[in-house]
Amino acid sequence: MIDVQQLRKQFVQGRGRKAQAVKAVDGVAFAAPDGRITGLLGPNGAGKTTTLRMIAGLIEPDAGRVLVDGIEVAQQPQTALARMGVLSDARGLYPRLSARENIVYYGRLHGMADEAAHARAELLADMLEMRPLLERRTDGFSQGERMKTALARALVHDPAHIILDEPTNGLDVLATRSLRESLRRLRDEHGKCIVFSTHIMQEVERLCDHVVVVSHGRTVAQGTVAELCARTGREDFEDTFVELAFSEQERAQAHGEPA
Amino acid sequence: MKAAWVVFRKELTDALRDRRTLMMVMLSSVVIGPVLLVALSALVAQIEQRAEQREVMVSGMAHAPTLRNYIERQTYTVKEAPADYERQLERSKLGYPVVVIGADFERELAHGEAPMVEVVTSSSDQRAQSAIGRVQSLLRGFGSEQAMLRLAVRGVAPDVVQAVEVDERDLANPRTRAAQFTGMLPFFVLMAVLYGALNAALDTTAGERERGSLEPLLMNPASRFSLVAGKWGAVASVSMLIAVLSSFSFLPGQWLLRSESLAAMFQYGPREALLFLALLVPLAAALAAVMMAVAIRCKSVKEAQANTTVILLAVSLLPVMTLFNQEGEQPWHLWVPALAQSTLMNRVLKGEAMAPADVLVPLLVSAVLAAACLSFVAHRIRAAAVR
Repeated sequence: MIDVQQLRKQFVQGRGRKAQAVKAVDGVAFAAPDGRITGLLGPNGAGKTTTLRMIAGLIEPDAGRVLVDGIEVAQQPQTALARMGVLSDARGLYPRLSARENIVYYGRLHGMADEAAHARAELLADMLEMRPLLERRTDGFSQGERMKTALARALVHDPAHIILDEPTNGLDVLATRSLRESLRRLRDEHGKCIVFSTHIMQEVERLCDHVVVVSHGRTVAQGTVAELCARTGREDFEDTFVELAFSEQERAQAHGEPA
Repeated sequence: MKAAWVVFRKELTDALRDRRTLMMVMLSSVVIGPVLLVALSALVAQIEQRAEQREVMVSGMAHAPTLRNYIERQTYTVKEAPADYERQLERSKLGYPVVVIGADFERELAHGEAPMVEVVTSSSDQRAQSAIGRVQSLLRGFGSEQAMLRLAVRGVAPDVVQAVEVDERDLANPRTRAAQFTGMLPFFVLMAVLYGALNAALDTTAGERERGSLEPLLMNPASRFSLVAGKWGAVASVSMLIAVLSSFSFLPGQWLLRSESLAAMFQYGPREALLFLALLVPLAAALAAVMMAVAIRCKSVKEAQANTTVILLAVSLLPVMTLFNQEGEQPWHLWVPALAQSTLMNRVLKGEAMAPADVLVPLLVSAVLAAACLSFVAHRIRAAAVR
C-alpha cells in the first residue's frame, strides 16, 4: 500500500536575479492498494517523474508525505526503499558487467546473500524471457534487452511495491505485450502493489485498475477507466483524458478544434 | 558497511575489466620511468667513456709540435678535426670541442708573443659541452708549464707567481650526485599514481551520471556514505596497485643500467621501493577522493576530464617548482600534497634521513583532504543523480 498525500515540490532554475521558481508538483495525492495496478497518467511535464522520485526518496518533498506500508519515506528512506522496487526514468546498466552481474549487484545491495541473489536473477530471467541474455555483457544490448535487465534488477529483492516510470518507452509491440503480461501476473499471483507512470492511453486502458490523471503538477481526477469516461460523458478514453488533463484554452491552442 | 564492501567489489571488478585503459596506464606510466632511467644511463655511460678515452680533437695540430708533445705527455690522444667541424658542432653531431691552432703558433710561442688558441664548441651540443672543462684545463696546464720554463730560465722560483694553491674537494656523496640524474623519478611515479586513479575516479562518478546508472543506484537501501566509501576504496585500490607496480618497476630497471658509476650511485633496492610505497599509498587515497569530488559535479566523463586537468597540471608542476626554487627545501613543502611526496622521495633517493614528523605531516594532510572530499561527494551525490 502506497499512500501519497498532497505532495508539493518546486525547483529553482537559474541563478541570481534570473532565478525562477518552477512548481513541478503542486498537490499530487492518491492511494495505491496492494493487488492493484495504479496508472499515473499525464502529459509530458505534468510532474510524473518528480512524483515517482519523491516516492522513491530521491527528492525530498517541500510539503506532503509518502507512506509505504505506513512508513514515511522522508523519515526512513532505507526501510521504505527495502520494500520498493523502482524502475526509474534513468535505467543505465554497467556495460562491463554481464546482465546477471548487474542484477546480482542490486540484490547484494539489498542485503541478499550471494546464492539467493543468483537464484532470484535466474527466476526473473525466466519470467521476463531473458535467459539467453543472462551471461552476456550488457554492452551492445538492444533497448528491449536493457529494459528487461533493468526491470529484473529493480525486482531482484522481490519487493511488495513496484514503481515503474514509463516502462514501455522504446519497447516494440511484442516486448510491450510481454511486459504487460508480467505485470498482470505480478498483480494476480503475487498481490503486488504496482504503480506506473505513462502518457500512453492504450496501456492504461488495458492494464490499469485505477487511473490517476496528473496535469500541471496536480491530481485532477482518479478512478477506473469506466468511471472517468462516465464522469465526462464521453465514450472514448482519449477524449476523456484530454478533457480532464488540459484546460479549454490549451485544447483550443493545440488543435484549433472546439472543445 | 556491508553495502560499502559490495560496492567496492563491484567497482574494482568493473575497473579491472577495462583492460584497454588499464594497459594504456601501465604502458604510459609504469614502463616509461625505467625506460627513461636506462636511456639516461646510456647517456652517462657515453660521457664517462669519453672521459676515459682522453682524446682531444684539434684542427691544425701540425702547426704546434710543442703543444702536441705536451698533450701526448699527459697521455691524451690527438684526433684531427674533420674539415666541416663547425657545421657538425652546430648540429650537435660531433661530440667533441675542437681546439683550433693558428699557422704561426710555434713562431709566436718561441718569440714570447702569446699565440691565440681557440676552443670551438656549441652550447647546444651536450656531449661537446661536457668535455670542454677538460680541454681548457689541458691548455691551461700547457700555458703554465711554458710560463714556469721561462721563469726558470730567468732564475725565478715558481712559488713566486703561484701565490695561492687551489684544490677542489666535492662534499656530495655518490648518492647525492646520482640524485641529479634520478631527481625526475618521483615525477614519473607521481604521474603513474595520478593516471592510475583518473579513469576509475571519473567512471564511478561522472560516468555513472552519464550512463544514467546513478539514479537507480541511489534507490537501493544503502546509505550514501557507504556507496561513496565503496567507490572510493576501489578507485584508491587501483591507484595503489599502479603505485606498487611503478615503485617496483625501478628494481629491474636498475639491472639494465649501462653506466657502472650510475648503477653504483643509484641505490634503489627493496627498502627504497617500500619507502616510496609508504609515501605514495596515502597520496593515492587522497588524490582518488579529490578527483571524485571534482568529477561528481560533472555530467559527463568528457566534462570531468576537462575539469580534472587542473589537478593533473598542479600535481605535475608542483614538484617541478622546486627546480626553479634556488633556496632548496622549505618547511612548507611538506604541507603541500604531491610536493611533499616528491620532496621526500628525493630524500629517499639521496639516502637522507627522514624524521617521523616529516612522514606524519603529509600523511595527516592526505587524510584530511580525503575525508573532506569524500564528505563532499556523499553530500552531492543525490543532487547529482537527478540533475
